Amino acid sequence: MEEKLSSVAKTFSPSPIQELSHLAQRCNAINLAEGFPDFPAPPPIKEAAVSAIHNDFNQYRHVQGICDKLALKMKKMHGLNIDPLTDIAICCGQTEAFAAAIFSIIDKGDEVLLFDPCYETYEGCITMAGGIPVYVQLDPPQWTLDPDKLMSSFTCRTKAVVLNSPHNPTGKVFSREELEVIAECCRRWDCVAITDEVYEYITFDDQKHETIASLRGMQERTIITSSLSKTFSITGWRIGWAIAPAAAASAVRNIHVKLTDSAPAPFQEAALTALSSPTKYFETIRIEYQLKRDLCMKLLDSVGFQIQFKPQGSFFLFAELPKDCMLSDVEYVKELIKKAGVVVVPGRGFFHGKSGSDGSCRHEKRYIRVAFCKSDATLNAAAQKFGELMNTRGCPKLYC
Amino acid sequence: MLRPLCFKSSSSTPTFLSFSKHFQKGSFDSPFFFFRSSRRINNHPSSMAAMSTAPTQNGTVSTQDGTPQIIRQPVQVAKRLEKFKTTIFTQMSMLAIKHGAINLGQGFPNFDGPDFVKEAAIQAIKDGKNQYARGYGVPDFNNALAARFKKDTGLVIDPEKEVTVTSGCTEAIAATMLGLINPGDEVILFAPFYDSYEATLSMAGAKIKCITLRPPDFAVPIDELKSAISKNTRAILINTPHNPTGKMFTREELNTIASLCIENDVLVFMDEVYDKLAFEMDHISMASLPGMYERTVTMNSLGKTFSLTGWKIGWAIAPPHLTWGVRQAHSFLTFATSTPMQWAATVALRAPDSYFEELKRDYMAKKAILVQGLKDVGFKVFPSSGTYFVVVDHTPFGLENDIAFCEYLIKEVGVVAIPTSVFYLNPEEGKNLVRFTFCKDEETLRSAVERMKEKLKKKVI
Repeated sequence: MEEKLSSVAKTFSPSPIQELSHLAQRCNAINLAEGFPDFPAPPPIKEAAVSAIHNDFNQYRHVQGICDKLALKMKKMHGLNIDPLTDIAICCGQTEAFAAAIFSIIDKGDEVLLFDPCYETYEGCITMAGGIPVYVQLDPPQWTLDPDKLMSSFTCRTKAVVLNSPHNPTGKVFSREELEVIAECCRRWDCVAITDEVYEYITFDDQKHETIASLRGMQERTIITSSLSKTFSITGWRIGWAIAPAAAASAVRNIHVKLTDSAPAPFQEAALTALSSPTKYFETIRIEYQLKRDLCMKLLDSVGFQIQFKPQGSFFLFAELPKDCMLSDVEYVKELIKKAGVVVVPGRGFFHGKSGSDGSCRHEKRYIRVAFCKSDATLNAAAQKFGELMNTRGCPKLYC
Repeated sequence: MLRPLCFKSSSSTPTFLSFSKHFQKGSFDSPFFFFRSSRRINNHPSSMAAMSTAPTQNGTVSTQDGTPQIIRQPVQVAKRLEKFKTTIFTQMSMLAIKHGAINLGQGFPNFDGPDFVKEAAIQAIKDGKNQYARGYGVPDFNNALAARFKKDTGLVIDPEKEVTVTSGCTEAIAATMLGLINPGDEVILFAPFYDSYEATLSMAGAKIKCITLRPPDFAVPIDELKSAISKNTRAILINTPHNPTGKMFTREELNTIASLCIENDVLVFMDEVYDKLAFEMDHISMASLPGMYERTVTMNSLGKTFSLTGWKIGWAIAPPHLTWGVRQAHSFLTFATSTPMQWAATVALRAPDSYFEELKRDYMAKKAILVQGLKDVGFKVFPSSGTYFVVVDHTPFGLENDIAFCEYLIKEVGVVAIPTSVFYLNPEEGKNLVRFTFCKDEETLRSAVERMKEKLKKKVI
C-alpha cells in the first residue's frame, strides 16, 4: 500500500526554506516574513463577534446582509451593479472563494494564465482541478506587463487568467492600461478573469485599486474574490467571497457548499459591522500602512538596498539584493537572521515556470520579500537591529 | 492581432501526486511557517434559497451604461457541476417559510451550544487570537484531538503528523477525496448518503459504486459488498452513526468490511460526526480494528456534539502517508481554519464525561417524544440507533412519493421533513422514506407531533 499512496511523501526532503524557519525560530528573529499583522484587530469588529457568540449566532447560517453591503461597496468603489441575491457567494476566506471559482470553471486540460512572480497557492488549486497553470513573467524592475508576452501565452485551451492586484509579492497595482490589455485578451479569447483583490484597500500615494470587472465587457466574464482578512486584520476568521455573474456565482456557491458548507457563523455577523466601517477607517489604514511602507524602505536603504520599485499597494516590499551582494536570496535571508535577528522571505518561491532563453529568470534568486504589516514597535525593533549592523565606516556589515 | 499557436503544455498529468515538487519547497505564506503559535447539516435553507439549477446558457446583464447585454456564456461552468443538484431543498425551504412550518428537516439544533465553549471562543478573540492559525491546526488543538482520540479508541497518534484541522467535517471529506482520490479511482459508497459525498467524489473524478442500505434495519448487504469490492477499489466511504437512517455499523459489519479492505488493499474514509450521539449501542471506530489504522481516515467535527454547527471546526485523523494527501488538498481549499474557534474547541474536547452523558440523555428524551409521536400519527418508524435523525415510511398517507409527501406535510400540516430520495444515486430507491430530525427543543417537537396528529390523515389503501 505504501507504494500505491505515498510516492509524494517519499520524495519529500527538507527544503532550504524549512531550514530557514528553524533557524529563525532558534534565533528568536523579528518576523517580517509572515503576511499577517502582529497588531490587534479593530475593537468594534471583535466586539461584534463576541456579541454574535453571546447572542447565539452559532448554528449554520448565511448572512444575506453581507451580500447587501458588498453590493453597495462595489457600486461605490467601482460603479458596478451587483445583485446581492444572486451574484455573491460567501466563503471561508478568499482561499476558498478562489478554490471554488477554479473548480466551478476549470475542466481537465484547461489552461490558466498566471502572472509571475506569484502567490503560490493558486497553482496547487488549479492543478487539483485538472487545470494547467501557464506563467506570464512580469518584467523587473517595475514588474511591467509586456502585452506581447501575454498575448503569446493564450492558446485555444486558455480558460482563465488569474489577476492578483494589489499584488503579492511585488506590491504592484496593475495600471488601467495593463488592465485594458488583459481585458482585451479576455474578450478576444472568450476567457474568464479570476481576481484576487484581498489588498484592495491597501494602496498608497495616489494609487487607487481598480477591478478589471469595471472595464468594458468584463463584468460578465470576471469572478472577483476577496475577503475581510487583510482589510480588517482578522486573517484567522475566514470570511471571504466571490462576486460574479449570477450563473457563475451560483456555481461557486454550489461548490462552496460541498467543500465547507458555510463560513463561520459568528464571524459572518461580525462582517456586517466590519463592512459598515466608516470611510475614515479605510483612509486611516491606508495612511498607516503607507507610513509602514516608508519605514520599511528606509530600513532596507540603510543596509545598502537600492529599491527600484516602490510598493503601490499590499503590505509587501519585494526588493532586489544590492548589486554588490554576491549572495543568493536564501543565503541572504540566512545571514539576516544570524546577523540582524530579522527574518524575511527569499523570493525564489514566488517564481515559477521555465526561464526564457533571454535568461529572464536569472533574477529569481535575487529578491527578498519583506512584510510591513507589523506594529511600529516591531518595525522600529528591526530598524534598531539594522542600525547595529552599520560598522564604523558606515557600511552595512551584513555581507562585506 | 497575432493568433497564438495551439501548443501542448509541457506540464505533467494533473493528479495530486504531481504537486509534490511544489510542496517540498514549503511555503512562507503558509501560516506557521515558523511553527510558532501566535494563529449539517444536510439542508441549508437560506443558502439554498440562493442556489439555482444548472446555469442557463443565455441571460442578460446590465452593462455599466445600463444597456442590457446578452451573455453568450462567457463564464462556462465546469462539467463537474452536472452532479450538483439542489433545487428540491430550495423549494422545500421556501415553502416552509411561506407556510410557517415547524422545521424538523434542518439538521441543526434550534438551541445553542454550552456556555463554557462559547466563553472560550470569546476569550480567544479578546486575547487577540485572530490571525492565521497553523494550516493543519493550532498545536494545542491538535494535541487535544489526539488525546480525545486516545480516550475514544485507545489509539495513540502523533498530533503533529496525523491530525489535520478543517473547516467542518464537510471540508475534511472534500480534502480527503481531493487529496487521496485520483480521477478514475473506484470508490464504494453506501446509499442513502450525505449529499456532499457524491459531489466531492465527482469533483475528484472518482468512479462511484453504490450499495444501498434497505429498511427495516439498513443492514449492510454483505454479498453485494463482496461482489462490488475488488483489487480495483481505491476506497470505501462509511458514515456511522449514519445520516439519514440513524443506523450504526455493528462490529460484525465493520469486521467484515475490514477484512475485505485488507484483502483488497482498500482505503476507508470514516465520517463519524455523530459518534457522541450513539444511543442504542456503542460507537465503534473502524480505525481501532486490527490492521485498519494504517488505511483509515477518521473524520469528525465539533458541530453536532457541541451544538455549534456554524463554527466549522472539523478534523481528519489518519496515518502520516494519508494525512499528507489530506493536508495538501486542505491547504488549497481553505488554507487555515478559524483560529478563535480552534482555541474554544480545545476547551470543548476536554469537557468532563458528564457533558457527554447529559448530551445523550437530552437527545434520548427528545427522540422518545418524536418517535412515539410519529408512531402515534401512523408512520412506520424505522429504528434509529444514533444521530439525531429518524427515517419513516410515509406511504400510509397515500402520497405518490417522498417529495409529494413533504410538500403536503408543509402546506397542509405545517411541519417540515426531508425527502430522502435526494440521498440516493437512484432517487427511486428513497421515494417511500422521509427523514425527521429531533435536534430541537422539546416544545418544538411536541408541537410538531400535535400538528401531525391533528392534520395528517391516513389514507385507506
